[in-house]
Formats: sequence, structure tokens, C-alpha cells
Amino acid sequence: MSDRNQNERNNKVVVPIGPQHPSLKEPGSFKITLDGEKVERAVVEIGYNHRGIEKACESRNYIQALYIIERVCGICSHAHTLCFCQAFEELAGLEVPRRAHYIRGIVGELERLHSHLLWLGVAAHEIGFDTLFMYTWRDRELVLDLLARIGGNRVNYGVNTYGGVRRDLEPELMQDILHVCDLLEEKLKYYADLALTETTLIARLKGIGVLTPDDVRKYSAVGPVARAAGIEGDVRVAEPYGVFKEIAVNVITDDHCDVYGRTLVRVKEMLEAIRLIRIMVAQIPEGPISVRAPRKLPVGEVLSRVEAPRGEDIHYIRSTGTDMPDRVRVRAPTEANWHGMSHMLEGFQLADVPIIIAAIDPCYSCTDRAIHLIGDGINQLTDWAQIRALSIEQYKSRGIDPGSIKVREF
Amino acid sequence: MLLSIFNVLVFPGLLFLGAYSFVLEFVDRKVYARMQSRKGPPWYQPLADMLKLIGKKVIVPRNAQKFLFAALPTVSLAAVCAAFLCVPVWGATAVTAYQGDLVAVLYLLTIPTLCHFLAGYNSHEVYSTIGAFRTLTQMFAYEVPLFMAFLSPAILAGTWSISGIAAFYAVHPLYTLINLPVFIVSLLTSQSKLERMPFDAPEAETEIVGGALVEYSGRYLAYFRGTAIAELTAIASVLAALYLPFFTGIAWLDFVLYLAKTFVIVLMMVLLRATMARIRIDQTLKFFWSILTPIAMLQMIVNLLLRGGLGL
Amino acid sequence: MNTEETILALNKRFPALEATSARPLRIFTAFAAPEEFEKTLQYAFSKLDYHKGKHIVGTDEGENIGLSYILSNDENVLLVLRERVPKSAPHVRSMGELFPSLMLHEREMVDLFGVQVSGLPEGPNYPLPDGWPEGEYPLRKEWNPAYFNKQTMTYEPPKEEDAK
Repeated sequence: MSDRNQNERNNKVVVPIGPQHPSLKEPGSFKITLDGEKVERAVVEIGYNHRGIEKACESRNYIQALYIIERVCGICSHAHTLCFCQAFEELAGLEVPRRAHYIRGIVGELERLHSHLLWLGVAAHEIGFDTLFMYTWRDRELVLDLLARIGGNRVNYGVNTYGGVRRDLEPELMQDILHVCDLLEEKLKYYADLALTETTLIARLKGIGVLTPDDVRKYSAVGPVARAAGIEGDVRVAEPYGVFKEIAVNVITDDHCDVYGRTLVRVKEMLEAIRLIRIMVAQIPEGPISVRAPRKLPVGEVLSRVEAPRGEDIHYIRSTGTDMPDRVRVRAPTEANWHGMSHMLEGFQLADVPIIIAAIDPCYSCTDRAIHLIGDGINQLTDWAQIRALSIEQYKSRGIDPGSIKVREF
Repeated sequence: MLLSIFNVLVFPGLLFLGAYSFVLEFVDRKVYARMQSRKGPPWYQPLADMLKLIGKKVIVPRNAQKFLFAALPTVSLAAVCAAFLCVPVWGATAVTAYQGDLVAVLYLLTIPTLCHFLAGYNSHEVYSTIGAFRTLTQMFAYEVPLFMAFLSPAILAGTWSISGIAAFYAVHPLYTLINLPVFIVSLLTSQSKLERMPFDAPEAETEIVGGALVEYSGRYLAYFRGTAIAELTAIASVLAALYLPFFTGIAWLDFVLYLAKTFVIVLMMVLLRATMARIRIDQTLKFFWSILTPIAMLQMIVNLLLRGGLGL
Repeated sequence: MNTEETILALNKRFPALEATSARPLRIFTAFAAPEEFEKTLQYAFSKLDYHKGKHIVGTDEGENIGLSYILSNDENVLLVLRERVPKSAPHVRSMGELFPSLMLHEREMVDLFGVQVSGLPEGPNYPLPDGWPEGEYPLRKEWNPAYFNKQTMTYEPPKEEDAK
């Protein structure tokens, strides 16, 4: 109470951004103390998306744990399963076939594309540039349709399994991937041009949310946030895994150290991802797509890491020789990027707060990973047709008949 | 007498203003959507929104003054309707035209902004207070260039009546070209007055949720929304009268021309809205004071000299 | 400093650590008591330039709780330094001055394992919600999520007699 009186006497206002706010895509609480329009102090509180994933993995076997790990996050689900499968394969001593590495690589780069396009749209929305938001999300649909054809679902595509991948890529699908790459490349070049020349965009993004290379070192930032400060850190180059043992990646860095730099890094990374996809599709070898994986892991512990769209993702597995993991620990990239958040917010204006928060590309679900898995109520399995029928019923009861809408088959 | 009542209430008064505002609002939203490669709303959407809002429950915050809460939307809507009566809709005649009605219209159009500010301040809530203060700050930014820009054609025309100005430029159409720079200034300041992108910091959805009107709901919000779209119509009409004066002398043809001219102005505003990001309030202030105000001032001086020089 | 050099340096200075590397860029060490651990951490930070704090893995070792600090240097070697404290008296000190980025994870240890970390600055709990009951540490092995009543936010394990 005295804090509030103090604030009132100094004409300071505490604006609560979150846990529920139009600018936040997931809940998180930022209490911003304002002096006029300037942010004086920012208290960051996260943990609203905690789901108990690590505990849940301990009471399930490895196959079930993989499903849970996939759902740590919707946008970077492939990166999480890849990291987890890699950890399992390292401990079990499995040699994954080359074709599986390539398929994993292609899906991983497609995921990077759709994640960065999503980010671009969200960032545009935060600064009020709705037109760019609509354009990037329209382009993202191309990638999501491809991913749905590959894996069967637009998010959580379930392509990875222990020992390789579960689905193969047919030649027409690969032709379509190349076609989408061509379409996207044009559009991305347009966005890159836009980022470099559109005055209002530059005015809003430049000079805010500054994180110097020293700050990056102090707060252990990873991913595009670190690369925008000129630091060349990319797991695909530092510790090449899978297909990146054969294909070299150009690490994209920028020197702006601010939100504008992060935008440029992500746009250029998208162009780099397209280049990598083209190489992978051209060079993909024939062969099996998986090897048999054991049910039990030998005793031991393993650390594995991959380059998720948001940065470095680390998984830890400890096994006591059974078919259930003893301890699973996930360090999602956003977790590393949170530490500098208060530092990045202070000193800038209220109008910059949403875009600074959005610029680290926060994935609160990846960070928190613990909710109550409650199961009171009906537990039943419904398939796609039943769910659709249920929802049509719902709408009919409100007087709208969507039954005539055709659903596209995958 | 009966004709006057008809003029005030139906055409081109309240009823026409209401109907045409819905049309322009629809044009605004549809073109904006098409520019974003979306489908956009159907033609009856603004009307449907208004009717829906009127039917919703009104919740008054505990700390707000009830009378002020209820009166502000009504007053601002009334002010805009009064302003519209001075605008020429067919040819160069308006419902009421008198010397100085340009200034009167501009003052009447300031009332909605003040009501907006008071509404936000009255709600006593963090987001609405910030939105209210931003509205006022933005007013300090655009008010000077707005007045200078709108008064420049008047100086050249030598009359302070909108209808008079329209008539003057109808006779000397080439002089409109002299006003081109200040036409652009007027467009930008009008965009700021209407709190549309890129100047909608007072209503920034991703920062302060809804700005000054965050606590408003039900029919009061409907009146404020109505004010916004009526203001769009009024300002578009004033701009059309001041800067696009082509008349044929035939009443109904002039009316069609009026519709076309306001349509063009709204299209230009939508283009501004769709192609830019929202700029911060301090950047707005800097932009208006350092770039637009000097242009408007220069134009005023030029027009003054020309008026004397051309001996009009 | 790459993997081999780090292992040589660590084993020379702290032989009890038994630093091993099963593959490049990974170094695992043995559990140590808090005082030994802090010395090792300080040494790794200042002399071996392991300045990046990546993560902390808390593990339930039956009688004890283990904290494994994962550090990294500019050559991307992942070094795991570990300490072990008894469950009955889980007191450790925060390594926040050396690794500010690990403070969030230390808070996780406080909430999820019941470790008492001294030296953490004032701040909200993470990640458990505000109404969480005292003394309930979800990631300890003996805690079963099935016995947690979400409505009343209390842990209700079955009584011993019922199990018989």
C-alpha cells in the first residue's frame, strides 16, 4: 500500500500488462511503473502456463513421454521432439539413417519458416501495422498446409520417433515444397525490403529493447536475440547435429542490438532456411527412414541440444535402466531470454513495451511447462469426423448451418 | 419553415448524415480489408454493429461520475451533427451558411475530442487515463497545423464561409492547385484528429487495450462510435468542399459529385491507414510540429501574399 | 578451452570430481558437497571461462536432492557441476552473482524440490501459483499428482491403514 501511495505522490502509475492483455498471446504478468510515458521499473512474472510436463514424463514410458514433449509448445514442437529423440538415440547408441536426418532437417527448417512468419505478423500487430500482420499470416498458411501434408497436423506434426522419422516424403510432395519455397522467397524479399525502407516501421523498431553484447553475455540470451547483438551463436554450427553434419549453415548476425536487429535477423534467417530446404530436397538420399529402437534405455544420462526457431533448446534425460525415464529436464530457448526482460524494458516508453516483449519471440508454454493435468469429467476418444459433427450441431443450435462447407482432405 | 425542418432532420441533416456515415464506414472497412487480402464485412455491418451495441447493457464504473458518463457521448454526437449542417452537400449551398462557419465547424469538431478526453479521465482507470492523456497530447500536436491548413484556402478565397469558399473555387478552379501542399497537411491532420492509423496512439489496442473508451459499453459506446463515423463524414465533406470544388450548377448532379468527392477522400484516408504502422505519441508530436506546421504556415503566408498580389 | 583441456584442468585441481567425457562437448562430474561445489564453480567461472549458465537440473536421489548446474563457455562445451544436499536439510547458496541467468532456475528448485536457496533477491515464486500449499514439492519422487486436490489445493495422500 505504501508503495502505491509513494507512486501516487510521485505521479507514477503502475500499468498491469497481463496476465490477460490484448498484446500478450499467452499469459504473463508485467507490472510496469510509469513516469509519464516512460517505463521506470518493470516487474516480470511468468509461470501461468506451468503444466507439470517433467513430472508427467516420469510416470510414463518413453513412447508416451515423446507425445508429451511434443506438446511442450505448438510452434516449436518439432525442435523439442528432435532434441528428445536425439537424446534417446545417443543414450541407446542408435544410428539414424541418412534419409531420416534429411527429412528431420526439412521439417525443422519449414518449422523455422512458419515460426518466424508468425513472429513477424505478431510483431507487426504489436506496433499497429495490421496490414503486414495479415500478409505474413496469409503466407504462413502456405507453410502450414505443407506441414499438414507431411505430418497430418498443422502444429504438433508427430514426424519424429526414436530411431528416425515416421513419415516419408513422396516426390510430388517434394516438388510442392520447392514450389512453396519459390513463392515464399519472393514474398520474403518483399518483407526484407519493407523492413529496410518503411519509415514508420523503422521508427517504431529502431533503438528500443537494446541488449548489448555484454548484456547478452550477462543474461545468457540465445537465438535471434543474441545474434542481433553480433554474437555468432547457432547450435547448427557449434555442435552440428543430424543433417547439419553434411550441410553448412550461414549464421545470420546483425549489429543493431535492438528490436530492429532482431527483425532483420529473423527475416534473413527465413531466406537462409529456404536455401537450406532447397539443398536438402536436392540431396536427399534414398534409404530407410528409421531403425528399430529399444523400449528400455541403458543406465546413464545425456544432454542434447538443437537450434529451435527461438534459440538453443537443451534436453536432459536420466535413465535407470527401465522403460520410464527417471528424470526429464527441458531448457527451452525462451527461458534463457527472459532474464534480460526487465533490463530491456526499463528506460523505454509504454508504447514500446509490447514490441519489446514480443521481440524475444516469447513462448510462455515452452518456459513454464507445468499446468494441472486435470481429468475430472468424461474421458473419451473422439475422431475428426465426430468432432466436426459436434461443432456443426453447436452452430445449428445457434441458427447457422456450416454443414455445407467442404472440408479439404489431406 | 417546414423545408428547414426537413433539411435539418432528414436531408441533408441527421438522417442523411446517419445513412451516409454508415456507407462511408462500410467503404472504409471494406477497402481496408481488401488491401490486406481479406474479404471484409458485408454492406450492413456498420449498421449491425451500431444496433448490437445499442442493445447491450451499460456498466458504469464505480468511481465515475454518472451524469458525466452519460452526457459525454450524447454531447459529442450532437456537436458533430451540428457541424455537419454547415457543410455544402449539393452545389455550394448548405443547410445554414454564414460568414465564419468554417471556424465554427472546426470548433464544433473539437468538442468530440474533448469529450473523448473527459470520458477517459472520468473512468478513473489506468488504461483509460493514459488513453485520455494521449488524446489531449495528440490534440496539442495536430490542432495548430489543422487550423492553419483548413484556413489557408479561406484566406485565398477571401471568405470565412465554407459554402463561400466552395463557390469561389468553383469560379477559379486553377487556384485549387496552389493549395496542394496544404491539402496533404489537411489529410494528415484529419487522420490524426479522427485517431486513425498511423496516428491512433490514443486508442492503441496492443498497448492500452482500448484507450479512453475502455470502460464504455452499450449505447454510450454506440454514440461514441457514431461520433467517430459521423466525424469522418463531416471532415471528408469539409475537405471535399475546400479542396475539390467542381460544380456543374445542376442540383442533383452536384449531389452525385459530392458523393464521389467524399468517396475519393475516404479512399485516400484508407490508403494512409493500411500502409503504415502506428507511431508513438512523442513521434507524432515531433512530426506535426517540425514538419507539418511549417508547411502550413508557409502556405498561409503564400496565400496571403497571393491574395493581395492577385488583387482578388 | 576445449573438452580435453577442461577435463585435464578439472581433474588436476579437483580429483574428487572425476570429470569424464563420453563424447565431445560434454563433461559430467560427480556429486559434491555444497562447499566443494562452490569452489569448483568459482574456479570454472574465473579460470576456465565457463561464464554461461545454461540450466539447473534438480534430481531426487532418494535421501538427497541433487542440483546439477550446466555451464558453457565460448567453445560450446557443456560442463555439468553438481552438488548434493540431504532432503532433511536442503540448504544451498545462490550462485546468482556469478550467473544471474540461473536465478530463475534456482527459484524453480525452491518451489519444486523444496531446496532452500539463500541469497536470492526478493521476488515472486516460480513456477507454482500463489495459493500453493506450503511443504508440497511436486518434483520429489514421493509426491504423486493423483493425490492433489485441485479444488481445495491440498495434497491428500491415502492413509497407511487404507493401503493395507
